[in-house]
Amino acid sequence: MRIGVFLCQAGTVPIDTVDLSAVAHYAANLPQVESVRDLGVLPTLDPSALADEISQDRLERIVIAGDSPGFFKPAFTRAMALAGREPNEVRLASFRQHGANTRNSTERAKAIVACAVYGVPFSLAAVPAQTKVHPATLVIGGGIAGIQAALEIADAGKKVYLVERTGTIGGHMAMFDKTFPTLDCAACILTPKMVAVGQHEMIDLMTYSEVESISGTPGAYKATILRNARRVDETSCVACNMCAEVCPVTVPSRFDAGIATRKAIYIPFPQAVPNAYLIDEAACTYVQSNGTKCGACAKKCPKGCIDLDARGDVIQVEVGSVVVATGYDVLDARKIEPYGYGVYPNVLTALEFERLTNASGPTGGKIVTKTKRFNKRTKSDEWVFDPDGPPPSSVAIIHCVGSRDANYNPYCSRVCCMYSLKFAHLVREKLPEARCYEFYIDMRAYGKGYEEFFQRIQDEGTFIVRGRSASVTQRDGQMYLKGEDILHDRVLEFPVDMVLLAVGLVPAEGAEGLAAMLGIPRDEYGWFAEADYNSDPTGTERGAVYVAGASQGPKDIPDTVAQASAAASGILKGIVSGRGVDSLGSLSLEDIEERAKTLVAG
Amino acid sequence: MSAESPRIGVYVCNCGTNIAKVVDCDAVADFASQLPGVVVARSYKYMCSNPGQEMIVQDIQEQQLDRVVVASCSPRMHEPTFRRALQSASLNPYFLEMANIREQVSWVHDDGAIATDKAKALVRAAVNRVTRHEPLESMSVDMCPDTLIIGGGIAGMTAALEFADAGKRAYLVEKLDHLGGNVARVDLTAPYMDAAGDIVADRVRRVIESPNIEVFLNSEVRSLDGFVGNFTAMIHTSEGPAGNGHDVKVRVGNVVVCTGYKEFDATRVTHYGYGKLPNVITSFEFEHMLHEGRIEMKDGRPPQYVAIIHCVGSRSPEFHTYCSRVCCMTALKYAREVKSALPTSYVSDIYIDMHAFGKGMEDFYRRSSEIKTLFLMYKRGDHPVIRKADPGDDCDMLIEVHEQLSGETIEIPADLVILMVGMEAREDSEEVAHLVNISRDKDGWFIESHPKLDPVATTTEGIYIAGACAAPKDIPDTVAQARAAAGRILSKIARGKIEIEAVYAEVDEERCSGCRICNDLCPYVAIEYDPETKRSHVISALCKACGACVAACPSGAIKARHFTDAQIFAEIEGVLA
Amino acid sequence: MAIRANPKLIDELVPYGAEDVVKCYQCGNCSAVCPFSKQPYVFPRKPMRLLQMGLEEKIKSSIDPWLCYYCGQCSEQCPREAEPGETMMSLRRWLTSRYDWTGISRLFYKSWRFEVGAVILVALATVAGFLAFGFSQGSIHHYDGPHAFLPSPSIHIFDWTLAIVLLALLLSNAARMWWFTMGRDKEVKAPLSAYFTKAYLLPVHFFTQKRYSQCEHKAPWLTHLALMLSYVTMLVLIMFFLRDMAAGPAIDWHVHIFGYLATIGLIGSSILFLRSRITKSSAQYKHSHESDWIFLVLLLTVAATGILQHILHRSGLDMAANIMYVTHLALVVPMLGLEVPFSKWSHLAYRPLAMYFADVRAVALARQGQPESMPEPVGGGLRTA
Repeated sequence: MRIGVFLCQAGTVPIDTVDLSAVAHYAANLPQVESVRDLGVLPTLDPSALADEISQDRLERIVIAGDSPGFFKPAFTRAMALAGREPNEVRLASFRQHGANTRNSTERAKAIVACAVYGVPFSLAAVPAQTKVHPATLVIGGGIAGIQAALEIADAGKKVYLVERTGTIGGHMAMFDKTFPTLDCAACILTPKMVAVGQHEMIDLMTYSEVESISGTPGAYKATILRNARRVDETSCVACNMCAEVCPVTVPSRFDAGIATRKAIYIPFPQAVPNAYLIDEAACTYVQSNGTKCGACAKKCPKGCIDLDARGDVIQVEVGSVVVATGYDVLDARKIEPYGYGVYPNVLTALEFERLTNASGPTGGKIVTKTKRFNKRTKSDEWVFDPDGPPPSSVAIIHCVGSRDANYNPYCSRVCCMYSLKFAHLVREKLPEARCYEFYIDMRAYGKGYEEFFQRIQDEGTFIVRGRSASVTQRDGQMYLKGEDILHDRVLEFPVDMVLLAVGLVPAEGAEGLAAMLGIPRDEYGWFAEADYNSDPTGTERGAVYVAGASQGPKDIPDTVAQASAAASGILKGIVSGRGVDSLGSLSLEDIEERAKTLVAG
Repeated sequence: MSAESPRIGVYVCNCGTNIAKVVDCDAVADFASQLPGVVVARSYKYMCSNPGQEMIVQDIQEQQLDRVVVASCSPRMHEPTFRRALQSASLNPYFLEMANIREQVSWVHDDGAIATDKAKALVRAAVNRVTRHEPLESMSVDMCPDTLIIGGGIAGMTAALEFADAGKRAYLVEKLDHLGGNVARVDLTAPYMDAAGDIVADRVRRVIESPNIEVFLNSEVRSLDGFVGNFTAMIHTSEGPAGNGHDVKVRVGNVVVCTGYKEFDATRVTHYGYGKLPNVITSFEFEHMLHEGRIEMKDGRPPQYVAIIHCVGSRSPEFHTYCSRVCCMTALKYAREVKSALPTSYVSDIYIDMHAFGKGMEDFYRRSSEIKTLFLMYKRGDHPVIRKADPGDDCDMLIEVHEQLSGETIEIPADLVILMVGMEAREDSEEVAHLVNISRDKDGWFIESHPKLDPVATTTEGIYIAGACAAPKDIPDTVAQARAAAGRILSKIARGKIEIEAVYAEVDEERCSGCRICNDLCPYVAIEYDPETKRSHVISALCKACGACVAACPSGAIKARHFTDAQIFAEIEGVLA
Repeated sequence: MAIRANPKLIDELVPYGAEDVVKCYQCGNCSAVCPFSKQPYVFPRKPMRLLQMGLEEKIKSSIDPWLCYYCGQCSEQCPREAEPGETMMSLRRWLTSRYDWTGISRLFYKSWRFEVGAVILVALATVAGFLAFGFSQGSIHHYDGPHAFLPSPSIHIFDWTLAIVLLALLLSNAARMWWFTMGRDKEVKAPLSAYFTKAYLLPVHFFTQKRYSQCEHKAPWLTHLALMLSYVTMLVLIMFFLRDMAAGPAIDWHVHIFGYLATIGLIGSSILFLRSRITKSSAQYKHSHESDWIFLVLLLTVAATGILQHILHRSGLDMAANIMYVTHLALVVPMLGLEVPFSKWSHLAYRPLAMYFADVRAVALARQGQPESMPEPVGGGLRTA
């Protein structure tokens, strides 16, 4: 068989991770390869010209190699057809798909080309050796993804170490009021699972802790975990709240997205797991004054479970596999000046609104605008949510805040359209008199029951405006929203009392360090890169390290849960069979070549 | 414990404000505390929360409660939670009764007074009922480690391989004579233009070569008996056209349904002239052209103008209301592929909303517009209209669109029109649903046990669904679900045993006349007739305690545990009192 | 009746600088940030849409592109980097080429080589012509007086002839513009009276550029205004006071002071514009069409040679002055003769006209009872077909 190899780059910038000339030279020396041509960056291909070339060189198989060679395949397939050759004999050697997109991955690229030349799927030839797997698993991140993965594995009777950075598990889902499109309350469906984690004998829950380092090899990792000092004994604390009552320091509550306050000694929220208080050392007077001031809580605690001088400790655990479920952060809306977040009091982010409308939020779920109040300590006016504050008579929801935007995040954040529709529903439900506007670009209601939900919101009388509103301004105390109402050919500028920003999702803080620590690549926007977009969405380049949920890319709850269980499956099969899988990276070019050859033969 | 002097604790949940905003929970608690047998009655913000449950446990221990009533949400939501709470206080979990004052009261009533009265009535009923509860022991049975997978598409093969890798046996049943499903019909996958062929080839080869997977082609599951952990499936294989097939019986612990979808039948849409106009084709027909490398009109000419119409059969008032989730990206892929194969052609993409929501998809959308794809937006329910072009035109057809973004009614030239046909439930989905005893939604998709937190399990234990048979899905999401299902099952297999609900029907063999009325009545085929003793008896593990047999039994010989007449009458009296 | 969309139009507009319009996903952000975008003239999104779809006649009859001053805000905030501002600019270029019935403009915009060639050709012709004329009746050693090489009366006559020709061309193009945008409009018929009552706005827009001043960034407007006023001043001086301008050697401050100011204005502003375009200082200067460069270079050199020949003459170097004068004319003639009717310079006529038309149209619209300019959203939000 006479094979022609063509190097084509689909990216707008030349590949800098692979030495193309080396790959070309390598390809030229592969059996049956007649010609190797580098067509450069984004070549415009003329199929008929290619057809002539194919007939000239009497090529019977084409291999297109490059970052994403598929972009050029139809041209070559047509060329083959025009040249009267078998059109199915066009093979792709995709560097991106098979992980040759990280630093100096020339060897990997060669292997990928080799497989394509032999006509063997790379994933079939590149199978790492199988290693013994330690039965314990480390799950990083205690959001719904981490919870699901941990439960799945622990229910199988296998040990799980669940490490969570904050004082409780639950993640972002615990902050939500209702979940789209079914509108059942997030707490109602999440807390039982949180409780299950807390009570599970196979789960070693480490909240307020962080993974410091990971060493070892797939199947036998050693993780060093920093357990920050809670300064409150988890087991004996009964969350009686007496300590918080006497604590003099008040700070914004992170769980309430900053729209409510908590004390320096606090429990993130009533259903927190573990159900125990902890001390925010950054805020605590005692800690900051090195034990010279305050200490009121310790004196007050009836159970004597507060040890203000407690130190954090570092522990080591041996695990076979790791699940990365670190989730996401929301984009800092201050970056987008035209929307006036941080300038106008009643411009809120999605998370802030989730807390505002949440029954357990600062207003008990009443949707009100902020009221001005004089803060005696800071001697200045501040805007706060007061349950008896005036309700907004009109609420505007702006989609794609920082998403689908070349100036911020070019990607779509996948969940904003639906949660924005949910917000519209909550506003109309709680304030039937209020007018509610949605400013959107494309209404991405793609999931099961989503389209129907979109319909329902429209029927409920929310104004759905096709247009990306440009700016929020304020004139004598009244906010105005300006945006184009495209479907009616006009620019609108009208008064609104509350603006909700559907802020996009960004990789969680610390994702970069974690990726480096685990040796797994990230995509151009910082999300963890899966092993293969289609066939291995939860595996990674590194053996026995899995990604689940939003840390791999924005995702809604069902898709996150599915990924978590999928990751669990990958781990369980390793433990059950006693045979995990080594890293792809450990494979040598020769290994892959050999296996490819045998596969062709067999 | 005697029902004469019960010590009952009543707990009224505010569910944040979900209940408290309508029902006066404290009043309900006060009212409950007056009821006979009630020792303690409390109202609390979140009973399901840790402190809430601890409250119950504490009371049981300190106040020697022997029965508990929780007035909160639907038992579907939290009955397991509170049963666990009772258990942890070493009280038989069946001494719990829940009064649903959220779904049945606060969410459906506005008038606080009436709602509160109704809540009181329900609580009274629950108290009456719980007084007559009896301790029940749930039993545990062995879990067969083998799994049956229905459907040899990407989902089925992925699931099968998970089990195989775990060293567990999997039976993969495929209707057709080859594996691969719909993905095998696709050339490239959006948004990264990877070769679908490789994905399929890779899996097919692994499946066939795996010693742990037994593949049944040209086969279907004829019957499925038994219950979670212990199913017996009858697989029928038909040998080619002759049809002289044979049956194989396999024993499995769990079943994964991966039957996928079928493409929407374009002939049902009359307005696009599919079947009449020669150059109006469906997306799958276009995939075939791509495979062949011949993007041509019927007369063999390459088209100069290609038009792609989205949402054919989807998001439409007359056909399917839902979005088929993958068509937008496939359409963008076609735009690229046409431009690649026919660089001088013009592509117009007629859409409603561009659903480019996943990883890499928005970039793909951007790049598709950079190659001068003309995007035209039409309104849902106001579909474009195709007509033959006039002799003078440089195109075959003209498509009239009420273009939303310009507000103009325009005509766009087209030589080839690709209809993005949506996904719909397979015509055999009802059979399958009946076979494995799961339910379908209004569109025929299988229903998961919880749309948010349990997307791959079903309400029937041991039966799982993965991929597009549950709703339209792209390849990564399908693969994830297939593995998720495998994960759920592996987790159970690893444990080796499973708990079985203690609530089921029992036949009092003394009173049974052997009339066998109940046998055919049982929707779960849980009742067997023993010709020897001439008596019927219930296979408890299969019984879902629906009560059909109880009602039907002429000699009142069948009694449903936990749903005895005494308990139900007590409950009714409680409501009416 | 459905309008035929033309997917090929985008290709046609690429040479005019519209290559980025394809990136636009129609979010409408640009229309909302633009200070001028108000009913019934909502842009840049709408014109961009018409261009994407290739609705040629719709674009031709739209005045929107002329209402844009390219402050660049839309381009800065565009989420798809579709360069709305530049698209509007390229639409103006395209419209200019459509208003021009000779077709020369089209050739200019499509090929800068052609434009440069034409400029050089005309320049050479001018040189030849004036040299021939000069030697035929005067001496190169005399700038003025009886033997003047280029006696101002003759030049004056030449100027006026040129002016009349140009005016004729410009007016005929403007007439076409009127026909496309107003004349053939079936829906909105502007009453004749409106043309008179609003006539005063034409000079107002022309001289003050008051709309431009509404942009957030003020600097471009000031430079633009300075350039415009200097140009007009110079025009007036040349058309009516050429004799006094040429007279010397004594400096007649009553006249020359204006000349000096105008020269400073012209040189200063053209240098400023050139610098901005070279450094791509802000969005509106990021993309420069060849026609922009040609125009600015011509403008600068014309002003420079103009003042140089003046200085040389004053310093008694008559021969040098004459040579410089010829050079000056060799630049002036192509600049006026080609740029004014066929290229960038023509916008100094089209833009004020467009605004004037807009004001006239407003009268008609008011009669037809148009809604107030900033309405509320309407229910549902989807267009009822």
